[in-house]
Amino acid sequence: MSINNNIWEIAEAFVAGTLSETDLKELNSRLASDKEFAAEFYESTNLLKSMEGNGKQKRFRNLLTEIHESEIINPKARAGRRIELPAHFWRTAAVAAGVALLTSTITYTILNPSIKKNDYQYVTISREVAGLRESQKQLNQNQKKLETDIKKINQPPAAHVRFTGTGFAINNEGYFVTSNHVVEGADSIYIQDRNGEYFKANKLAFDAESDLAVLKIARKSFHFGKGDVPYTFATGKSGLGTNIFTLGYPKNDLFYSSGAISSSNGFDGNELQYTLELPVGHGQSGSPVLDEKGNVIGILTAMGGDAEANTYAVSSQALISLIHDQLSDSPIRINKTNKLHGLSREQQIEKMQAFTFSVKVYKK
Amino acid sequence: MQGFINTEQQLLVSLASCNRRVASQLYQQNYPIVKGWLGKNGGSESDAADLFQEAMVVLFAKAQDTDFRLTCSISTYLMAISKHLWYKKLQKQSRDPVFLKENIGTDEDEGSIGYEDEVKVHEEREMHYEMLNAALEQVGEPCRSLLKAFYHNDKSMQEITAAFGYTNSDNAKTQKYKCLTRLRKIFYGMAGN
Repeated sequence: MSINNNIWEIAEAFVAGTLSETDLKELNSRLASDKEFAAEFYESTNLLKSMEGNGKQKRFRNLLTEIHESEIINPKARAGRRIELPAHFWRTAAVAAGVALLTSTITYTILNPSIKKNDYQYVTISREVAGLRESQKQLNQNQKKLETDIKKINQPPAAHVRFTGTGFAINNEGYFVTSNHVVEGADSIYIQDRNGEYFKANKLAFDAESDLAVLKIARKSFHFGKGDVPYTFATGKSGLGTNIFTLGYPKNDLFYSSGAISSSNGFDGNELQYTLELPVGHGQSGSPVLDEKGNVIGILTAMGGDAEANTYAVSSQALISLIHDQLSDSPIRINKTNKLHGLSREQQIEKMQAFTFSVKVYKK
Repeated sequence: MQGFINTEQQLLVSLASCNRRVASQLYQQNYPIVKGWLGKNGGSESDAADLFQEAMVVLFAKAQDTDFRLTCSISTYLMAISKHLWYKKLQKQSRDPVFLKENIGTDEDEGSIGYEDEVKVHEEREMHYEMLNAALEQVGEPCRSLLKAFYHNDKSMQEITAAFGYTNSDNAKTQKYKCLTRLRKIFYGMAGN
């Protein structure tokens, strides 16, 4: 660039600190020699800084006003809108009282503890504030009471950390599969279904090499959904280029993505696995990978940390072998009736929702 | 102790970039305290909301400077700034500032050195912005809307190009510069008077 350019362009670059050293030198010499230019330039940069500062402050004020209205004036409405997850969290907190969380491979979500803590803190606070308003009414001018209440508000709640993965049903009798690394070393394992309800689960079998674990919901005569699972399990390996999709819980909401099989072997030539071209996130370990006809061809296990960002899935054959090898005493029925074939993707997802869920793991 | 300082420092960095979560956390933690104090010092709830917002803006402006370090906790700072702002306001409302200062302005100051300056800087900045806004109102359309979209609402030049119907973003940029030139004339003309 040259200082003969539009003065605003130079001023903008100057304020942003993006002028090159040569440009800066050129600018400085002109500022020194050309008084008129210098005056105009300083006015311009000052104006730009003021406009930016004023704009940013305005946005900050808007943010504060919005926070005041939604969290102070009307905390109940806001709590109502957001109650779903925190309510469940309370339940977990009660169920797993005093229990903190597990484990350490990179493939599952570490729900950011600070963020979670804030959400948690938020709910506690809005409840306290609501209580405070009532006590204000009742006690009117009892300032002392108010102050104690305020102190209460400022007490931070105990920190909770949790790790999650995804699981999906093998049949409708409470049996499901997830990644072994998700549940490894767990003290207690829960699934959270799409209605937010928690169910305790017990591990029946696992295989660290294939990274699979088979579990069963503890509650007797539990069913994931009304009918049987809608998908079937592929018994052979699917071919390169097969279109695939997955459903999982990277966070609190069900997440869908689609892609293709890019290699029939997995990481480092692992024959138990597939390499997939499929965008996934932490927390989706254990998610089902299905072909377009509704056959489960694999279970998500890892994503590559490399630039290619490959995704790896354990093949469904490995799951079937695990069930045959380790659970031959009390065989688990594997569904043979496919109800997804020929349906649109939306319909397939809708039918699968009851059978795909978040897995939450606790460890002392 | 080190961890505590780091945490507060991180909060400030996030606050400086308008992070909602952090702003909300600071609001939840400190607004009740300021409101409680103000209640005892003759302020209403809506006074408390206004006062606390000003104190947060002072902190926000300070946090823009990456070298800024608090010498006390954020809570103490917000409370001290709130008090100073409130005393200032009472002084302004009253025709007898000395009287008020003696009666209200001297209780439990938490090492108030420096806070008066900060309140002063804040007032000057507010006046400066007010003048800038007044100039912006005089700049005429479409300049006023264009500059507001870019600077106040944080719209990109692409969005502005589309919203204002310019044929391409270079045209929009040229127009923005023209508008800035007009604004500069009005603003420094006002300031000169």
